[in-house]
Amino acid sequence: MVGPAVDCLLNPLGAVRLSFEKVASASDGFDPASLSNKDWGAKDVFQKFLFDEGGLSQVPFLDIENQRWIRPNSLVRFRGMVQDMLGNEFYIGAFKDGSTWKTNKFADVSSIDMGPRPEMQIWERSLFYCVPVPGQNSWSVQSYPSSSLIHRYHAMSSSQHGEKRSRGSIVDDVESNGSNSELGGTSSCFKKQREEDLPSQALQASHCSQGHDADISMVSNFNKKSLSCLVKIYDSMESELKLNDVVEFIGVFTFDPELVVHKTNSDTLMDDLCEDPLAHLPPSKVPRLHCLIHRKLDIQDFLVGLHIPEPKPSLIRGIRETLLRHLTSVLGNDGVAAQCILLHLLSTVHARVDSVAVGKLSLNLCGLSAETVPIFIGHLNLVVQSILPFSQCIPLTVEYLNTTTLAPRKDYQSNRLITGPLQLVRGTHLTFDETRLISGTLNSVGVANVRLLKNLMECQQVEYEFDYYKMEMPADVQLLILSEGKSNILPADLLLPFRPVGITSVTTPTEEDLHAWRWYLASLRSYSHAIEPEMQKVIEDDMVAARQGDRTLGAADFSRWLTMGRLMSASFGEANLSLEHWQMVKELERLKNERFK
Amino acid sequence: MDSSPINNTNGPSSPDDSFSSPIGATNSSPAPSSTRRRRRGRRSSTNSGYRSPPPHPSPSPSLDPLFSTPSSDRRAARFPSATPTATPTSFSEPPSSDPENADPDVPPPTFVWGTNISVHDVNAAIKRFLQHFRTNPSDLESKYMQAIDYTLQLEGESIDVDAQDIYDYDPDLYGKMVRYPLEVLAIFDIVLMDMVSNINPLFEKHIQARIFNLKSSVSMRNLDPSDIEKMVSIKGMIIRCSSIIPEIREAVFRCLMCGYYSDPIVVDRGRIVEPSRCTRQECVAVKSMTMVHNRCRFADKQIVRLQETPDEIPEGGTPHTVSLLMHDKLVDAGKPGDRVEVTGIYRAMSVRVGPTQRTVKSIFKTYVDCLHLKKTDKSRLQAEDPMEGVIGSIGSQTADVSPDYEEKVEKLKELSKQPDIYDRLARSLAPNIWELDDVKKGLLCQLFGGSALKLQSGTSFRGDINILLVGDPGTSKSQLLQYIHKLSPRGIYTNGRGNSAVGLTAYVTKDPETGEAVLESGALVLSDRGICCIDEFDKMSDSARSMLHEVMEQQTVSIAKAGIIASLNARTSVLACANPSGSRYNPRMSVIDNIHLPPTLLSRFDLIYLVLDKADEQTDRRLAKHIVALHFQNPETSFEDVLDLQTLISYISYARKHIRPQLSDEAAEELTRGYVEMRKRGNFPGSSKKVITATPRQIESLIRLSEALARIRFSEWVELADVHEAFRLLEVALQQSATDHSTGTIDMDLITTGVSASERMRRENILAATRSLIMEKMQIGGSSTRLLELLEAMKRQNTLEVHLNDLRNAVITLAAEGFVSLHGDSVKRT
Repeated sequence: MVGPAVDCLLNPLGAVRLSFEKVASASDGFDPASLSNKDWGAKDVFQKFLFDEGGLSQVPFLDIENQRWIRPNSLVRFRGMVQDMLGNEFYIGAFKDGSTWKTNKFADVSSIDMGPRPEMQIWERSLFYCVPVPGQNSWSVQSYPSSSLIHRYHAMSSSQHGEKRSRGSIVDDVESNGSNSELGGTSSCFKKQREEDLPSQALQASHCSQGHDADISMVSNFNKKSLSCLVKIYDSMESELKLNDVVEFIGVFTFDPELVVHKTNSDTLMDDLCEDPLAHLPPSKVPRLHCLIHRKLDIQDFLVGLHIPEPKPSLIRGIRETLLRHLTSVLGNDGVAAQCILLHLLSTVHARVDSVAVGKLSLNLCGLSAETVPIFIGHLNLVVQSILPFSQCIPLTVEYLNTTTLAPRKDYQSNRLITGPLQLVRGTHLTFDETRLISGTLNSVGVANVRLLKNLMECQQVEYEFDYYKMEMPADVQLLILSEGKSNILPADLLLPFRPVGITSVTTPTEEDLHAWRWYLASLRSYSHAIEPEMQKVIEDDMVAARQGDRTLGAADFSRWLTMGRLMSASFGEANLSLEHWQMVKELERLKNERFK
Repeated sequence: MDSSPINNTNGPSSPDDSFSSPIGATNSSPAPSSTRRRRRGRRSSTNSGYRSPPPHPSPSPSLDPLFSTPSSDRRAARFPSATPTATPTSFSEPPSSDPENADPDVPPPTFVWGTNISVHDVNAAIKRFLQHFRTNPSDLESKYMQAIDYTLQLEGESIDVDAQDIYDYDPDLYGKMVRYPLEVLAIFDIVLMDMVSNINPLFEKHIQARIFNLKSSVSMRNLDPSDIEKMVSIKGMIIRCSSIIPEIREAVFRCLMCGYYSDPIVVDRGRIVEPSRCTRQECVAVKSMTMVHNRCRFADKQIVRLQETPDEIPEGGTPHTVSLLMHDKLVDAGKPGDRVEVTGIYRAMSVRVGPTQRTVKSIFKTYVDCLHLKKTDKSRLQAEDPMEGVIGSIGSQTADVSPDYEEKVEKLKELSKQPDIYDRLARSLAPNIWELDDVKKGLLCQLFGGSALKLQSGTSFRGDINILLVGDPGTSKSQLLQYIHKLSPRGIYTNGRGNSAVGLTAYVTKDPETGEAVLESGALVLSDRGICCIDEFDKMSDSARSMLHEVMEQQTVSIAKAGIIASLNARTSVLACANPSGSRYNPRMSVIDNIHLPPTLLSRFDLIYLVLDKADEQTDRRLAKHIVALHFQNPETSFEDVLDLQTLISYISYARKHIRPQLSDEAAEELTRGYVEMRKRGNFPGSSKKVITATPRQIESLIRLSEALARIRFSEWVELADVHEAFRLLEVALQQSATDHSTGTIDMDLITTGVSASERMRRENILAATRSLIMEKMQIGGSSTRLLELLEAMKRQNTLEVHLNDLRNAVITLAAEGFVSLHGDSVKRT
């Protein structure tokens, strides 16, 4: 197929076009309509380059650091969360230049003058606004290529400079040509009109730039180092990607920091019709990525450079042991709390029946007072941050509840989905510190927020605000609540009074341990799980007996027991719930209940 | 193959024509009206068309704007000049730039450019359709001739044409119209004008055809490049309307020197050319012309953004939006929040990189040039949907119902005809909570509700049914509440602990001892026209409870703020659940004693159910099994023959909205008879004991319940069976809550006063005994006696079992009569 003639890394568009021309020239009766929204083999070229020839490791990650040296129109990869979907865009996919068909696919601006052209094809692509995963912890951020790779990259680019330049210059030439002809032709008549419209135009421009600033600051709240990106996806079923999915995109990077967005002249109607989300994401501030290949990521994909140990039972037990020991020491030698936290960290929603999210285990550690909080919360957060890829801690105060909009909200002015702290990816860990909550009045925003949080706790769903209606989005978030008494605002599945025995010096875990723990939490979470009929019988009997003894036990309690049973056996890496683990859960329940007496 | 408008396949005209469409837009923004000019050109030629038979549509860009008639203006209103639209007729690039395009004369004049549509044929087809289409073959006159007459009488500006009719009459015409809307609609208007001038040559306005109700509507999501330049119909919700943009159509200038008014100058390429000199021969002053604003003509224009309705969004997606361009009458026809179905032409225009650059990006912006807007019925729960004022002649806005909604309703109606629908609905209610069948039936009645009645005198009877569940902890009362909350429109779920009934704000308090944070929120006002579910009703503060009195009978909430007392509507059904004050329900005591609620409040509940936990191993096992299955098996816990939540919700909402049952005569008779019988039961023959087994409140409850039961069957009439079932439901509830345990009969006094008749009798006996004892033992003005001594004496003398408390009560009553005086523990006869 395509030989090494075109460098996929530095000139991906060249490779795309080459493959297109091949197809176009292959047969005489070439009908470009047949390629509408289909791949003609361009993806194969990259698939081969990236995965068969090991090109993947050379592709730089797009982030703030790398963005400085990555050349536009080169191949990059980007990991992020789909924060908003901006619909579809129609573009001139193929056109006839002279007698040959050319393509514009995977490019923003056409390589040649797109004057009126008799023969062309309109194709469509979908736009996604992607941001770095909220709450992503630094250890899970991949930042290679290393400096040596950068050097190689530079070397490559200089060696192929000739080709690169020639390609780039086409664009430049075209643009200058365009403006030249403009000047020569109708510019005088334009001028006059421009003058007339100048005041209003300036006004608009200033208004517009304000909008931009607000917008950018909104984005940067996400993560100071973050880089959000407008991804254009081709030929894909739109339903393939969902909101809040974590995806890795590999594609052509385009970015024009110098390009100042011009306001289109006088025609307000045009502005109004065009007025769309893209107007708020100018190419000069938000880079574009024309996606060639994308894949959804799971938590495991964030375990950077880890050796994946063979899941031997003894090994898993060992890791469990060390992790539990570490958690215990962090929690002031409270072994029961450590066990609960371990189960909590492994929980995930694995099924939804009606509105019940099966598998969640939110934990409420109560009995924390203002004195103990600073000691333990800090340590606990540190641990969580270092072993889970995505985590966030929200201090719950009346002021926070009254002023923050937790739910994502659609802004119809900019036609964008404004993110909120509760727009989270699957598997995020969220800690609420309720100890700082003092008496005060909640306004309507606060009431809405509390309702939202409660809904998240109970159903693992977040209602996104669309003004005229609300849209329920399923979530899968591990919720840990730290409070003084039982939290009524955030009713957790498991309530445990925290009883530290004393403050032990916390040893910093070794890098090796951390790696093992990360692997352990990420992979055991996804294990499937079953139960033997005999065991099922035992559990049922236990439940009936327990209920005969204590009539206050209800469905919620039984549900919690089973979740804990499942997680307990999962924590040993086993797929079946054994009697031993069930007994451990019952013992844990007993120890927990004892603390209430 | 001809599916893409860009795709040139044939055509007697130059291929460039059909291709020019999307590109046409490219350059049209600097000179957008070239389109229009062309159109006007065509229009003018076609205007002449109806005078000289073969319409010659060949446009010539050189046509003089002056040639235009008012009709062009009208046309332009639909396809405004300022929109850089590109019709297949247009060559948007300046004619001079391309000599080939400068000569756009289409060889065979009877064909629409680049297509195989013969203008003449289409013209004839439309005429045939308008003159001959009848909805009913027996109709004397054609539907649309009538419509035209009607419009003429009203001096309207448009007639609505149902696309379905066109399809029925002439599928070929329909196909052409959808495929080449611009051309066919233009011809349509010509035909209409032709007809109008035949009927009434003096009629000055120009009637436009507004097409609606296309055979299929496209989902916004599925609009793709092949739809460009076609007629589409999309549904959605309006989220934003721009302000109305006045767009100048004709300008009039006046000479400052001589005061001469120029002829109206029509917009050309989105611009008005100011005359450089006065056109009057005598004046000819240079640069003296000034625009006279109030003699110019403007047209309304508006840009509206339409968004997908929530039900069309796939899971995990965000809604798509599309821009709509509205003109004239359509302006402000829809407001944000309205659900509408729009018929229009899907357009695309290209985006330029910058104003100074001729190159365009290879991207298109799309919008829909709107022809017709129809508000669709809100197929949602929220009942009250105030009829919006009908604006002008736009569509049949009021009673339009989308076909799939109708289909849904059909399904529901079918469902309602099933004989076991009542049981089936009851079963579908919280299917994973077992037993409690009668409770569920009661809740079902609450969900459907009776009909509220407002008399002319201003008194109103509520239609809402209030239910109280009392029972042991752990009997899934709360789950039932949660479930109902989910099901009910505008349901509010709240906890009795800390509910302030009013206000949208809440207060966070912290228990000083446990450190528990408690949220106090106002709920009742929020659940107007819904069901307010109050958990832990017994823990509600007294002030909040007193508010409930008003809510449950008057259905309003009064709040005093800043010296103003406001009465807010709170037309809500209350579903409350309460735990007994002891940890468990004591069957030996009355409901009132068990839950410590004031009887006045209790009597306002239509149904009071006792949900007692019968420590039954069978149910426990069932619960355990269910939960294990939930966690470990295929999570589709299938309940047989059960309606899913969505169906249930739509069933209820439909019934609440559309069914207003009335009492049939026999039902009314039965109600009276049953009520009398119920009251009779309190009279024991040969006994002076009178027990009230029913109060007027019960008959109101019974009416509400039977109405609700009729609603469940989608029946407009309350029938005998409904009344019987209402009696049964009420009795089941009374049996549970109002049974006097010392006698085993139903006693409404238990609920209304908290004291049963037998208890009252006992008290009277004690009172009498005390009175006679005191008369006997004590002298007027004599020394005082201690209560305990009296008790002793009484016990000795009487067979009655007397407690100190009873005695004290009796003495207090006597003291009130002035018979004795009571100081602390000592009694003194006065």
